[in-house]
Amino acid sequence: MRFCGDLDCPDWVLAEMSTLAKLYDKVTKFTADAKFESGDIKASVAVLSFILSNAAKHDVDCESLSSELQQLGLPKEHTTGLCKSYEDKHSALREKLKEMSLRLGRLESVSWRVDYTLSSSEVKDVNEPSVQLKLQVKGTESGASETTVVSVSADKFRVLLCELKQAQSLMNSLQ
Amino acid sequence: MTALLLNKFSDSECRKLCHAVVDGVCGRKQPQREDYSAICSLEEWLDLNKFLAKLFCLAAGGHSSDEEVLAALSDAKHKDILLSVLKARRQELSRALLDKTTSISSAVLSDFDWQLKLALSSDKISSLQTPLLSLSLDVRENGALRPVTMEMTRDELNTLISSLEAANKVVLQLK
Repeated sequence: MRFCGDLDCPDWVLAEMSTLAKLYDKVTKFTADAKFESGDIKASVAVLSFILSNAAKHDVDCESLSSELQQLGLPKEHTTGLCKSYEDKHSALREKLKEMSLRLGRLESVSWRVDYTLSSSEVKDVNEPSVQLKLQVKGTESGASETTVVSVSADKFRVLLCELKQAQSLMNSLQ
Repeated sequence: MTALLLNKFSDSECRKLCHAVVDGVCGRKQPQREDYSAICSLEEWLDLNKFLAKLFCLAAGGHSSDEEVLAALSDAKHKDILLSVLKARRQELSRALLDKTTSISSAVLSDFDWQLKLALSSDKISSLQTPLLSLSLDVRENGALRPVTMEMTRDELNTLISSLEAANKVVLQLK
């Protein structure tokens, strides 16, 4: 199955296909007599989320997904409905998955201030600019952001900016 | 009088000590006690070290003139050696003192490294194909180095660079 990354479809998904098949009937009656038990609802949501996220993960096209789901025993009209939603939300899903991919430290915001130092206890006539940077970085694990305030000498600042630009042009040449 | 301790040193020993003290001030290897243990006692050694470091810093930082340096040395031998070491290494010393000025009462950027990577795939999405820039900043705070790391996408890097560019514009006006 392509939507499973060319692996066999997990048994639990297969087993829930019939639950999903009942979904249409169930949902129509849902408001009327609430026969859709909470276990069924959970199972349906889980299996739908599995199918949709895995299909997007492996970038499966709509036709393949539709035929694969029918092979697994999902009725045609259900498949069409599911694939329609999938097609509509395909790019949004992929964007979200990209965003959710592991990232080690995310830069959230940058603030700066340029100071001009006139004199200090170390040097009588300094007359040098320096840059104060405040970086807010979101950590990997806790998700809490950490703020770093750092003062950078003018020389070092120039080198930092120059190297970041080098990296930027390398990055741009990648696409 | 601490300056008179210099009289115990031969010309070459004095020159070596002066350079070692300057090295220490500039953040390299400190002068080693065992190299001079035959010449002066531990207490004398500590005093002399402190005296020379202060003398060089005041002179290179512009807080005292060469005449004031000579006055501080009073009747000590080797005045010309001290002045020649000071002359030879004044630039190096003032750079080190400028760095110290930047680090007064704030964390300071001591070094940085970057790495450009192409993220190919993740557990969330099989084809990620996103270039990521890892930036690692070594921030020196109260004498200890603290690493700050982050991974940026192209957009985040662009935001960082345009922010730093704005600061750089101001820095360049001041130069």
